[in-house]
Amino acid sequence: MGGLVLAVDDSISMRQMVKLTLSSAGYSVVEAEDGQQALEYARENSVDLVITDVTMPRMDGITLVNELRMLPNYKHTPLLVLTTESSPERKIAAKRAGATGWIVEPFDPDKLLATLARVL
Amino acid sequence: MPLRSKRSLTVGDHSHALPPPTLPGFEHIKRFWDKENALFSAKIVPGEYYVTVDGEMITTVLGSCVSACIRDKMRAIGGMNHFMLPLDHSNGNTAWGAAASAATRYGSVAMERLINEIIKHGGRRDHLEVKLVGGGNVLGGMKTDVGSENIEFVKNYLRNEGLHVVGEDLGGVYPRKIQYFPKTGKLRVKTLVSERNRIVVEKEEKLIQTFDKHLNTGDVELF
Repeated sequence: MGGLVLAVDDSISMRQMVKLTLSSAGYSVVEAEDGQQALEYARENSVDLVITDVTMPRMDGITLVNELRMLPNYKHTPLLVLTTESSPERKIAAKRAGATGWIVEPFDPDKLLATLARVL
Repeated sequence: MPLRSKRSLTVGDHSHALPPPTLPGFEHIKRFWDKENALFSAKIVPGEYYVTVDGEMITTVLGSCVSACIRDKMRAIGGMNHFMLPLDHSNGNTAWGAAASAATRYGSVAMERLINEIIKHGGRRDHLEVKLVGGGNVLGGMKTDVGSENIEFVKNYLRNEGLHVVGEDLGGVYPRKIQYFPKTGKLRVKTLVSERNRIVVEKEEKLIQTFDKHLNTGDVELF
């Protein structure tokens, strides 16, 4: 198990909960505060999986997924959306942008880890 | 921002006018004309939240639950939530530690939903003004003081997020009826010492029982 996960959320609490859950299962986690920062990190480094929130300042999660899919290194990388949103329109937008999956918060830690194991 | 239907213009008595259209996703919230304050009021119950850009008032009745009243003070946009943490039987001794306990995850989602909705409609994190109310120790029969746990959580959460609390009315032993005006930031609190106390307590006890039976977590969908 393991791999480098990029956790993207403007809320530090949300990032911490994801980080704690994933690091307890042996993943390394890097954090980004918004889509823009995440995109810059992903361009310079190689990450194995991205978990992103939707509503964020500067660049939202759906735009981030879209931008990442245009980069040759991220054509097949699992890109998961983790959000408090349950709006079907935004879910469809995420799917169209190339997201791998949509997870609604509050997340169940075991389910989240099982999802990661499945897509990696 | 999604298109909203055109508003009808009325003058004088608005009591028979329709309330302004809600932001998308809040259509289910009960709203009515409030004669005393001469504006439309949205009434929320435990587990709900409401955000307005139309100068509406938001009301609720709190026992041990807490409401965060948050607005962008530079723009007339803000809202309120009404939440209670589920009792965390794990005592934070889970594999992922106390910071990601079930209670924290549920509380964080209640806060995140409200803040995200304000940001989605043009609010900015650095303009947010927060007021806190509730968390009374009204459930006398319970072993733990649920109100205090709710207060502790929300204060930690806001500190962690770097959000400043400008006003609070927390704790005590009585339920509260509150009115929040996101446009001005005014928060009115009325302490309930009458027989209505019992109704609030019964509703909250029922909520705790629901949590005990079934803690809902979000769906996972792989495309």
